[in-house]
Amino acid sequence: MSVLEYFVRHRQEILELSVQHLWLVGASMLIAVVAGVPLGILVSRRPRLDKLILGSANILETIPSLALFGFLLPAPWLGARADRLAITALALYALLPIIRNTYAGITGVDPAVREAARGMGMTGRQMLFQVELPLASGVIIAGVRIATVLTVGIATIAAAIGAGGLGEFIFRGLAMVDNRVILAGAVPAAVMALVADIFFGALERRLRHSHV
Amino acid sequence: MSDLPPDEPAIQFDHVRFRLDGRDLLTDFCLEIHRGETLVLLGRSGSGKTTILRLINGLILPSGGVVRVEGRATTGWDTVRLRRRIGYVIQEGGLFPHFTIERNVGLIPRLEGWPPERVHRRVQEMLELVGLNPEEFRNRYPHQISGGQRQRVGVARALAADPPFLLLDEPFGALDPLTRSETQRQFLSLRQRVRKTMVFVTHDVTEALLLASRIALIEAGRSAGIYSPAEFLDSIEGPAREYADVVRANGKILGWPQ
Repeated sequence: MSVLEYFVRHRQEILELSVQHLWLVGASMLIAVVAGVPLGILVSRRPRLDKLILGSANILETIPSLALFGFLLPAPWLGARADRLAITALALYALLPIIRNTYAGITGVDPAVREAARGMGMTGRQMLFQVELPLASGVIIAGVRIATVLTVGIATIAAAIGAGGLGEFIFRGLAMVDNRVILAGAVPAAVMALVADIFFGALERRLRHSHV
Repeated sequence: MSDLPPDEPAIQFDHVRFRLDGRDLLTDFCLEIHRGETLVLLGRSGSGKTTILRLINGLILPSGGVVRVEGRATTGWDTVRLRRRIGYVIQEGGLFPHFTIERNVGLIPRLEGWPPERVHRRVQEMLELVGLNPEEFRNRYPHQISGGQRQRVGVARALAADPPFLLLDEPFGALDPLTRSETQRQFLSLRQRVRKTMVFVTHDVTEALLLASRIALIEAGRSAGIYSPAEFLDSIEGPAREYADVVRANGKILGWPQ
C-alpha cells in the first residue's frame, strides 16, 4: 500500500486528528496572545520587570517540551484533562516570542513620534491604543507568526500525554516503524504550519506597509 | 483667553535648575516670556534649549526653582490640560506615520471631543493656513509628502485646537536651504494671522534674527543675555558678539556692503 493509498484510506482519522490539532494550537495561541501582549506592554512600561518576565519566559522556552508536559501532569486542575494540560504547556511556549515582539515593537516606535504624542497632551492610554500598539502591530504579528509555527510543531508531542492531535500518527508510526503512518501526521502538520506562516506573513506585511 | 493680568509674563522661569544623571543641564535659569512675542532660544547643540521647552509643557519637571505657565507652576497643572494649551512642533513634525494628514491635524480637536464635522472644517482651515491644498493632501500619509510639507502639517497640527502657546523645537532643522527659507517666510506670514506666544529653538543665527521678537542666548545651561534682533546683530561685546561676528564675517566673504 502506497503512502497515498494509506492517506485516502485513513482520511477520516486524519481529518479528526487535524481538527484536534487545530484546537490545541488555536486555543493555546489565543491564551498566549491574551497573556503575552499585555505582558509585553507591561515590560515596555516598567523596564525593571524585563529581567523577571523575559527571563522567566526564556527559561520556559529552554525546558524540553516532553519534560514540560511531564512537569505539569501533577498540577491539580490542569492534570485532570490531557488537552487542558497540553494547551497550557503550548501557551507557555508561545509566550516568549509574543512578549518579546510586543516589547520590541513598542520600544521601537520612533522617539520623535512618542515625544510629539506626549507633548501634545495624549494620555498614556491614548498613546498606547492610538499610537504605540498600531505602530507595533506588524512586529507583534511577526511574533504571533513565529509562535504559531512553533506551536504547530510542538503540539505533535502532546499525543505523548494523550492529548491527541496529529502526533498520534507520528508516535504510532514510530512504534510500528512505518513511515506512511508517520507521514500521515507529519504532512498535515507541515501544511498547517505553512498555511499559518503564509497567512501571518501576509498580515504582517500589510500592517507594516500601511505606514512605511 | 485667560484672566492673567496683562503685565504678568505668560511663561516664567524662576531660578530653575534641571539635573539629569548627576549633571546639571540647566543652572539658575531665569527667563520671562511675554504674551504674544516670539522668543527664540539660540545656542549651541547641548546648551539646554530643548530642556527649556520640555520644562514648559511639563514633559520634565524642574529639579529646583519654578516654571510658571499663565502664573501657575507646571507642577500644579494637570499635565494633560497644560499640554493641550501648548502646541508642540518638533523636527520633521513628529507626525504619526499611520495617520493620514487629516487625522494628524485633527488629532487634538478629536481628543478634545469636538464633533466630527467641526474637526473636518478645522482641518480644512488649518491646512489652508499653512498653504497646503486640503483636497490634495488630506488623505495622504506623512511618508507620501515632502519634508517641507510634513513640517507645515506639524505646525497645522499644533495650531488645530487653537492653543495660546506654541513651542517649536528646531522645526526647520532638517530642511534643505531653499525649502527652509520658503518655510520660514511662510511661518512669518502665518504669525501675522495667528497671535500666539511662541518659543522657538534654533542653533541657526540667521533664522533667529529673521523670526525673533527677542533672542535669548543660551550657553551651557544658563541664560547669556536677551536681545532684540537689532541689538543682537550690533553686539560688539559679550556672548552675542561671537554670533554677530559670524554673520558679519559671512557678509564680508560674500562682499556685501558693511
